[in-house]
Amino acid sequence: MGEADAPETVVVIDDDYAMRLSCCKILSKMGVRVEAFEDGTRGLAGIGRLKPGLIVVDLKMPGISGIEVTSRVHEIDPQITIVVITGYATIDTAVEAMKCGAYDFLPKPFSPDELRLIVNRGLERRRLSLESQRCEIERAMLKRRFVTFVSHQLRTPLVAIHQYLDVLKHLGDTGEVAAKREEWLDRCLKRTEELQSLIADWLTLARVEGGALMKERIKVDLRQLLPGILKTYEEMAAGEGVSLHAALSEEPLCVGGDWNCLTVLFDNLITNGIKYNRPGGTVTVSGCLSGGEVVVTVADTGIGVPDKYRPFLFDEFFRIKDDGAKKTTGTGLGLHIAKRIVSEMSGSLDFESQPGAGSTFRVRLPAWHEADSAKPGSSE
Amino acid sequence: MTPAAKRILIVDDDRDFVEAIASFLEASGFTVRKAHTGSDAVKLARMERPDLILMDIMMGERTEGFFTIREMRRQEDLKGVPIFVLSALGTQMPDFGNPPEWAGLAHDEFLSKPVDMVQLVEKIRQRIGQPT
Repeated sequence: MGEADAPETVVVIDDDYAMRLSCCKILSKMGVRVEAFEDGTRGLAGIGRLKPGLIVVDLKMPGISGIEVTSRVHEIDPQITIVVITGYATIDTAVEAMKCGAYDFLPKPFSPDELRLIVNRGLERRRLSLESQRCEIERAMLKRRFVTFVSHQLRTPLVAIHQYLDVLKHLGDTGEVAAKREEWLDRCLKRTEELQSLIADWLTLARVEGGALMKERIKVDLRQLLPGILKTYEEMAAGEGVSLHAALSEEPLCVGGDWNCLTVLFDNLITNGIKYNRPGGTVTVSGCLSGGEVVVTVADTGIGVPDKYRPFLFDEFFRIKDDGAKKTTGTGLGLHIAKRIVSEMSGSLDFESQPGAGSTFRVRLPAWHEADSAKPGSSE
Repeated sequence: MTPAAKRILIVDDDRDFVEAIASFLEASGFTVRKAHTGSDAVKLARMERPDLILMDIMMGERTEGFFTIREMRRQEDLKGVPIFVLSALGTQMPDFGNPPEWAGLAHDEFLSKPVDMVQLVEKIRQRIGQPT
């Protein structure tokens, strides 16, 4: 974040020369960049140019008053924090300024410490509000995109099913359609399954994002988990002419996580290895301990990931639809979910791929330490 | 000699949707051609000059249909071929604020998905007449 590294700019507006000078001195020592102006007009021009994070402004000045400066500054940028300086006689005005959006006020005379304290607090407030604003925007954008995609993905199979049923209803007794009846009903069932898995994936993702799946942090030995998963997919692999292999180390491969969550993770990687493969191909799951991490690789001999798709592979709803990928089914959420699970567990997921020769996905997870179970929160 | 059946080109990346609609149109007496991508659709349309085109918008997870319509409108040999948009996007085409560059996107009819097929056939007949 380059923005956070650069020193904040603070603008001081006061008609009193001595006041400007001492404020500048105190604030420069705090490591912020300071510019001072002698009246509201010059101050506002300076603010437009300097885009400060905070403004210290005297309420009682000839020309444009501090109150007017306050409201005009917020027209320029509502995120700028404003501190008003006021003499005892104008406390009422200070309250008014705060109603106009000033963050706080400093009654004269004030000590250097008081100025420092209030400026620091003001800058901190601004940083937090900018950050939460940024998060809010990101979340809203993500949500909007997600809703658009999900509704398209949900509607498409529904529309197909609807259309088939509608034709069968209208023309069910005519010869040509009767012959296709069985095939169409099978297609309707397939599309229903597609909807089911999309909803299941969507829910898994929502649960991972909500942190629900990671609450159950228990010791899981992947040497026990992985063979079971491979067994589940033997039939599917055989159907595709693909063989499954395991190469797990002799030592335990323990990580701290949730059994179901880890199952979803390796399910997704292994089924991808099967689906994006070719007859006679293999999927090999290897696991070992390396430098405090459990490293599991899932290697296939399939179509690989074309270079142009590398940056998008973990995006939600991204699917490779090249000729080589033929008619693979899937929701486009599998790898996205896998990535989310791994990062929730403070691990990493990356891949190497040779287009046409195969891909290897590598999961690194922190190895389980007995001390983990004693950590507060880890057994909640 | 009986007149040739009216030809309809249906463009949609969902093969099931195409299959269902095509069956109904064929049962209604039309000849149907199918395309599953925008570029195939343009090629097929130029080769066969159909009497009417049914176009999906969201194809390949993008709004490929828009670009396909624009491409078709640019083709001299496809002048006057009506294009019906079939989409689940909403009840009408999204409003892009109508900048001039979108003028080529003008479609002749909008039907939302799922499509009422009886109504679809009715609208096609109004536009291009009886199937044969």
